[in-house]
Amino acid sequence: MAWVIWRQHRLQLLAVGGLVLLVAVAAVATALPVRAAYHRQALSSCLPPALRPGCELIVGHFRSEFAARAAVARWLILLPGLAGVLIGAPLLAREFEHGTYRLAWTQGISRQRWLLSKTALLGLAVVAASLALAGVAMWWREPFDHVDGRMSPAAFDVEGIVVPAYALFALAVGILAGLVLRRTLAALSVAAAAFVAVRLGVEKLLRPRYLPPLHQVASGLSAPTRSRGWVLDNALVDTLGRKITTGREDLAVLHAQRASVDPQQYFSSLGWRRVITFQPPDRFWVFQGIEAAIFVALAAVVLLAAVALVRRRPA
Amino acid sequence: MSAPLETVALGKRFRGRWALRDCTLRAPEQTVVGLTGPNGAGKSTLLSLAVGLLEPTEGTIRVLGRDPRRSADAIAEVGYVAQDAPLYRSFTVAETLEFARATNVRWDGALADELLGGLSRQTRVSALTPGERSRLALAVALGKRPGLVLLDEPFARLDPLAARAFLQVLMDGVAETGATVVIATRVVTDIERACERIVLLGEGGVRLDGTVEELLESHRLLTGVRRPLGRIRGVEEIVRARHSGRQLTLLVRTNGPVLDPTWTVEPIGLEELLLAYMATVELPTPRPPEPSRLRWHG
Repeated sequence: MAWVIWRQHRLQLLAVGGLVLLVAVAAVATALPVRAAYHRQALSSCLPPALRPGCELIVGHFRSEFAARAAVARWLILLPGLAGVLIGAPLLAREFEHGTYRLAWTQGISRQRWLLSKTALLGLAVVAASLALAGVAMWWREPFDHVDGRMSPAAFDVEGIVVPAYALFALAVGILAGLVLRRTLAALSVAAAAFVAVRLGVEKLLRPRYLPPLHQVASGLSAPTRSRGWVLDNALVDTLGRKITTGREDLAVLHAQRASVDPQQYFSSLGWRRVITFQPPDRFWVFQGIEAAIFVALAAVVLLAAVALVRRRPA
Repeated sequence: MSAPLETVALGKRFRGRWALRDCTLRAPEQTVVGLTGPNGAGKSTLLSLAVGLLEPTEGTIRVLGRDPRRSADAIAEVGYVAQDAPLYRSFTVAETLEFARATNVRWDGALADELLGGLSRQTRVSALTPGERSRLALAVALGKRPGLVLLDEPFARLDPLAARAFLQVLMDGVAETGATVVIATRVVTDIERACERIVLLGEGGVRLDGTVEELLESHRLLTGVRRPLGRIRGVEEIVRARHSGRQLTLLVRTNGPVLDPTWTVEPIGLEELLLAYMATVELPTPRPPEPSRLRWHG
């Protein structure tokens, strides 16, 4: 069966492998200046808790110099989902489109076993590819992560064990969509849409709540520029702890300007403080574990549905 | 003793339309059965039910004594070639054989090889002629050493020469494996050449079921002067009545000799017999004579 799976899916597998290779080459080519700058500017000595005066400037330079590269690297979030959907959606849909399910499902293996062995082997390949991607991303982002931490989505989404979990979920969704829709293109589009919806939903709604966020009162009134955690919210609150809307804040600033008072002093005289709500950087692996578990569980549920359906559904 | 293929009151409905209904039949061991009927009579549906691709809406079907939806082992012993002989187009002939070997516990590579003869193993399936492609699909089906072979419209895309070659391969394979064969086809001439037994499906289920000999023996063409039809001794059922001028020709199923001297009794060929049955499935059966005319006559 392994030979059959390889023979049928080798183009997709090679494409995914090529993609990983391409990303790795691009990573090596673009990482060296970043690393050189990191060491040249002695950034490690500028990171918390060691905060020397002038460090803000150095870190700021490092950030602005490589902001474009970091922004490009964000596109890595597409790849695990893409790999999963590209392999998953045609798995059944193509058999239906070409009528070959009538060949494949009337041989000596039951179709559940056929589907399970295909899923297992291709799942393994997808997991391996996305682990490689995550490894490359972690290596590439190392200097950035030292500066900014890796709790924020820019790093969290492309690093660690969530990456293979995303890919596995995308694969499962692709398979189920192919089984239900029976057309490759339709299955691809629907699976991609469903994957993105779930993935964003989890990131925006669930991830901030895996553990209760921490709060920190900032000394100044402007938001601190350096936090290695994932900042969920930073808001001005009054003495009673009520949030002050930006509209009110703006009015207060105007008011202070008219009275020729420093707005910052005016705010402190009112007792307003800036409170930052954030997830601290040391929760990275806990959050990775929770999110990976969620997506692996979702993938398992979707796959079980596909296996149950492939058994029951008339072909 | 259960037959390799046995159905009882089998029915399959798609979205409110019955594709097959009230189908009861058995294909006895080591026979070649021709399954025929007009378009939409449910031939393909019946075969799909037999390999578990479809689930019956009502009734039961047993393949090699087992329920095809529950038993993967039963399917492993069925050689099925679906309509248009689906194969992976990007595979070569050799890869197709390797696919069959890998997905079947029982696989007789030597037999498949023998049936393929001189066909180049490195040709891609997409580059095969329809005849070669059918032959490959058949070799894959027979290489399982099946107890039951199900072929869905195997001749549909073949020219007469290729069809003949296909039949030869089939017969060689069947001689080797001793399988029961069910061939679903609209093309009556193919059946005549290959089959010992005929099952004709119509809207109301199985319209005809018997060996070729039995069917030919029990049907006669009666020719006589045009007249209103009453009962004729020896006739069980009038299958078709056809007038030309003052002459009336009846195709009848008999239950004894027709001795009425006003009728000329002749045997009928298989092709004409089956076509007549298929036609009656699609057209309304001839109406019984109107009572007024009967009174006038009698």
